Amino acid sequence: MSFTFRLMLRDLRSGDLLTLLLALVISVGTVTSIGLFIDRLQLSFEQESANLLAADRLVRSDDAIPMNWKEEATAQSLQYAERTSFTTMMFANNALQLSQLSAVSDAYPLKGAYLVDDELFGTGYGLAETPKPGKVWVSSRLASLLNIKLGDQVEVGDATLVVSKYLVRDPGSSTSAFAISPRAVMNMADLAATNVIIPGSRVRYSLLLAGERSNLDDYEQWIVPQLKEGERWRTPTQQGDRIGDTIGRAESFLLLAGTLAVIMSGVAMALASSRFVKRHLMQVAILKTLGATPKLLGRVFFQQLFALFVVGAGIGLGVGWAIQELIASLLSGLMSTALPEPSVGRLWLGAATGLISMLVFCFPLMAHLIKISPLSVLQPNAKIELNTFVIYLIGFVGMYGLMCIYTKGFLLPSIMTAAIAGIALLVAAIGWVAFKLGRSLTSGATSGWQIGLASLYRRLVPNLFQLLVFTLIIMLTLILVGVKSSLIADWQQQLPEDAPNHYLFNVQANQIGPINEKTEQLGVAKSDWYPMVRGRVTIANDVTIESMYPDGRGEPELYDRELNLTWSDTLGKGNELVEGDFTAEGLSVEQRAAKEAGLKMGDILTINIGGNLVTLPITSIRTVDWGSMQPNFYLILPKSALEDYPANFVSSVFVSPEEAQPFYQVMAEFPTVSILNVGDVLKQVQTIIGQLSKAIQLVLFCILSAGALVLLASVRSTLEERLEEGALLRVLGARAALVRQALLVEFGALGFFAGLIAAIGAETCLYGLQVFVFNAEASFHPLLWLLGPLIGVLVIATIGIFASRTVLKVPPMLLLRDL
Amino acid sequence: MASNTAIKVSNLTHTVTSNTGDLTILKGINMQIQESESVAIVGSSGSGKSTLLGLLAGLDVNTSGDIQLYDQIFSKQTEEERALARGQYVGFVFQSFHLLPSLQAIENVMLPAELKGDKDARKKAEVLLEKVGLSHRLTHYPNQLSGGEQQRVAIARAFASNPKILFADEPTGNLDEENGNLVIKLLFDLNQSQGTTLVMVTHDNDLAKMCDRQLVMSAGQLTEKAL
Repeated sequence: MSFTFRLMLRDLRSGDLLTLLLALVISVGTVTSIGLFIDRLQLSFEQESANLLAADRLVRSDDAIPMNWKEEATAQSLQYAERTSFTTMMFANNALQLSQLSAVSDAYPLKGAYLVDDELFGTGYGLAETPKPGKVWVSSRLASLLNIKLGDQVEVGDATLVVSKYLVRDPGSSTSAFAISPRAVMNMADLAATNVIIPGSRVRYSLLLAGERSNLDDYEQWIVPQLKEGERWRTPTQQGDRIGDTIGRAESFLLLAGTLAVIMSGVAMALASSRFVKRHLMQVAILKTLGATPKLLGRVFFQQLFALFVVGAGIGLGVGWAIQELIASLLSGLMSTALPEPSVGRLWLGAATGLISMLVFCFPLMAHLIKISPLSVLQPNAKIELNTFVIYLIGFVGMYGLMCIYTKGFLLPSIMTAAIAGIALLVAAIGWVAFKLGRSLTSGATSGWQIGLASLYRRLVPNLFQLLVFTLIIMLTLILVGVKSSLIADWQQQLPEDAPNHYLFNVQANQIGPINEKTEQLGVAKSDWYPMVRGRVTIANDVTIESMYPDGRGEPELYDRELNLTWSDTLGKGNELVEGDFTAEGLSVEQRAAKEAGLKMGDILTINIGGNLVTLPITSIRTVDWGSMQPNFYLILPKSALEDYPANFVSSVFVSPEEAQPFYQVMAEFPTVSILNVGDVLKQVQTIIGQLSKAIQLVLFCILSAGALVLLASVRSTLEERLEEGALLRVLGARAALVRQALLVEFGALGFFAGLIAAIGAETCLYGLQVFVFNAEASFHPLLWLLGPLIGVLVIATIGIFASRTVLKVPPMLLLRDL
Repeated sequence: MASNTAIKVSNLTHTVTSNTGDLTILKGINMQIQESESVAIVGSSGSGKSTLLGLLAGLDVNTSGDIQLYDQIFSKQTEEERALARGQYVGFVFQSFHLLPSLQAIENVMLPAELKGDKDARKKAEVLLEKVGLSHRLTHYPNQLSGGEQQRVAIARAFASNPKILFADEPTGNLDEENGNLVIKLLFDLNQSQGTTLVMVTHDNDLAKMCDRQLVMSAGQLTEKAL
């Protein structure tokens, strides 16, 4: 066995290397477990969203899909399927009905399944296949409108097809909102025979893709640059704003959690390295006197660190893997679907974290260690100066780099790094003033208070450093708790269990009474009725929209399409007045839309309603909770402006699964009423939110555990001096209670100030995160200001007393000999 | 240099930089120490004895002048070369023992031989520890040994590399009389039996008198004390 490894084994026995190894294991383990877990969650979201898209990726075009797109898909080992959707007339039994028809290839759907039923208005069962050639599946509504049943024939253009299933849900179309015509699906092989698609028909062609993520990414790289107008590349996360938003924010949270884990790992490594180096300074000096050359020592330490990295990273990866498996298995009972397997390819992240942490925290210190003069052995009391500024700087830059690698961006690392730098300054300023003040207010050594406060000032620099570490860890904890609570509260508030899941459209005034009666009989909850008139904003403050946006590009939502307009005397549910008077004779505009269009109170809009122009000033601005699933409107007009126009009415209802079949049957009595089912999307969102909330809490728990370990490591790193002082005090006759009180005061004060500064930092960071990362409203968190100092005092004092308990129990002679 | 000259110092000056400006600790020292000689360097605290010892052993580099240990001229060497020279020629015994706390007594003694890549390090260490009367303490850690025992381990370690010159810095400074005497006896016995040159810094007049020569350090100057 080589000298290096013999020395290493002996070091391991003494526990010094073990501390470093432990820090590395914590570091690699935390990042690995969180990284893998986040990856699994992301994969799971993607899969769930893919079910809504019916594929992993999709290319949409207004023209037929070119052959080379499919050839490239095959070349990239991707599965593909095609869907062609259009609106057409269907005939049966002398009745005709405009319907939304999809023709799909046999491989469709690549993800998810059709929901079909053999009974009219049934709730459906999953079927992962397509209609056979010659067959068609029609929605129950279409069947009732055409008065057909299973086995009947329907005509589509020149082709005749046989109805073989009732279509409940098409996996790829659940979010294409406002496709109000009843649906049907047929086999692609029959499409040509229908002859319904002629040049100029409005047809949407989709190429659906599924396969390995890397292949999909390659395909994206290949196709996106060549997409023309009317062609779009879609990924599951772009699917619908809600899911995209929810997942986006959850990913941001998990990324934040991971980044904080990286910082904690860095702190752990820095602490362990500096402890290792401190304890080895004399050893290196002695080895040098015995003839060890700097080259030999360099080789010895490099080999030791390398072996340490291999072992530590190996154990860390294993532990990380085990922890995320544990989290996943804890979650499995709570989640509706099993999480996808973690990808081994993601392990590099943990290994890289370990390697970079070692490079930036261990190596510079080791390089210093090797340079120590052998003369130190003759001057044991001489201070061994480390060039700490450069070492901190390297650590700081390394940590920033790590975070950038981790988040694949600069925003989050920059916010966090700026926050840490700010905190360091604050810690230096507050700590220095407070400790100095504490010292000047006390003198003598008759009480634990005096001794405790005096030692805070005496070891000013190490104490300030320790204060910084405590502050950082508490701050990171507070940030996570703050973000978690507001995210989860926000989500739950967004989507109550009984949020409406169906919209009723095209309701005539005389149908309102009968529909109300029927829904009341069924016990279905329903929102108010809103009259709806279509209109388009054409002029804003004397300038025409066309001249403002000649090519339509960058047009705000308020101007780019025909809007649903309504009137109302009272503010609807989920609406809040921001400015003005809602009952005034003018326009009420939704805040975000107004902001996007650059509109303010008093601006004048002209709206074209069925060829008539209505010009009105903006008299109120309101916010709308789009998540409430109530009928919501960008523009609300005064009743006088709209009452003369023919209006349809709209309402939203919540239909529970048990009520679904009777509800659809009842609504079949109103064949002209359009029903839009958004329940599947909602359910998906609710499932995802539920899973995310649980996952986030578990991740938070993991990070907090790692944080506690780092705190313990930090306390241990300065323990020796404290133990020595405690032992001396006891030799001089101090009672254990006095020593305990002094330690309590010292750690308590460190904890209190750490908690206080952490609260300041966390509040500032939360503001930055909410505004810039989560794109949410900033809010104040009073709880943090209580929690910070409280956690600080309780946790730090407990850990401090726990770690120093030997000084109170062991005879002082033994302690002094050990030191 | 004659073959029996172990150390030759010519015009040695050493200056250190401190907060209050440059401080010249050693001023133009000239001396020679012959092979197998035992030499005590005495003087008051702060007179520069330990600094001189450190420079003689190549632990630090002097500001000007030359120090020659056999064929090694320290002032012209890199730290790498000086370390090799220390391993080859020099052994140390310190006032505060300086055993590695994480190593057992036997492992501490094995270190110098291990650094040279000697395969028999363990066997040699056992023999040395037996010579210093600690064969029953091989696997004890330094904090499990008394001060006298620790210094005996340090002496065993110092002789483990078969040094030509042994430097001792106040070897009995931290010991009681009984242990001090035991350590001194060991030091001189081994010095004689192995033909080692002994250079010792001490406050202890009795100890100094046991050496062949005494050099007195005073205000950075070295003078020979007449015996």
